[in-house]
Amino acid sequence: MAPAASATGLDLSGAEPKLLPPEQAFRFSARALDSKTLEGRFDVVDGYYLYRDKLHFVLQATPSALEKAELPSGQRKHDEFFGDVEIYRGAVTIKLPIAGGSPGQSLVLVADSQGCADVGVCYPPTRQQVRLTIPQAGAGSGPSVAASPPRKGLFD
Amino acid sequence: MLAVAKCLAGRGWRIAITLAGILALAAGAYVAQGLWSSAPSADAAALLAVALPDDEGREQRLDQWRGKVLVVNFWATWCAPCREEMREFIRFQRMDGVKGLQFVGIAVDQADNVRQFAKEIDLNYPALIGGLGAMQLSQAMGNELMALPFTVVVSREGKIVHRQLGPLKEAQLEKIVGKLL
Repeated sequence: MAPAASATGLDLSGAEPKLLPPEQAFRFSARALDSKTLEGRFDVVDGYYLYRDKLHFVLQATPSALEKAELPSGQRKHDEFFGDVEIYRGAVTIKLPIAGGSPGQSLVLVADSQGCADVGVCYPPTRQQVRLTIPQAGAGSGPSVAASPPRKGLFD
Repeated sequence: MLAVAKCLAGRGWRIAITLAGILALAAGAYVAQGLWSSAPSADAAALLAVALPDDEGREQRLDQWRGKVLVVNFWATWCAPCREEMREFIRFQRMDGVKGLQFVGIAVDQADNVRQFAKEIDLNYPALIGGLGAMQLSQAMGNELMALPFTVVVSREGKIVHRQLGPLKEAQLEKIVGKLL
């Protein structure tokens, strides 16, 4: 981010704002490691951060269901209203154990996140999703799939 | 309806704008695009036509503040930079309210959160509840990224004289508002 922007905010009457839309600032991708585990990944662009406790994952596939996501520890950040919160910068990978998955099964992983830019701007909750196929036993993990289409469902 | 949206929207999910108002907003957005890099003096009629409930549930029309220097600030309790700049807004409202300066906050949030925060910081200007729908309103006002905070300054004559994504610093606010009061 340009230092000038942090000093003066982003005056929309003048120069074009140089902020990224949230789905680009917080790119989500995922892959199926095996029939029991998915792996989600956020690539957070420099100058942006995600709130750890605002990450939520849902699996759109019956009968499989997500178990508790294994969120790594984040950086501590003090927020005068919410107290100490944890944030993620850079790349963060999250193990997502699933129950009831079977090889060849197609499923949709939905990731909700919320974050801010260091220049002093925050985004509303953003929903991204990826379609994954559980790999055959012994075939190794499936390919990494980038989220698309972006922001689908925010105002549904 | 997505869970997050539902949670945010809550009881505040209620933007009372007429069909005419929505069409006017769309027209306003078009005008705003055209004026983006030149001196912004778009008509604020569409914004002033908006009515939203305040944190006590009473409907408030923005045009009740017509004739004042109106600073409309889109914010949320989940937005730390929004909360920071509001302390400054409170000071400005206290100092210059008598000269005709009027801040109005539109929260992209639910009423309970807004009430709690307003009490905590001793908010001295109206906090209207827009829910996630307020994001679309701010987008129509030029907030393409739909990020917060986003602020629109309207002159006494009802013209949009400043739009800003990101915090308004004290010196900047003084400069913008000083000319209008």
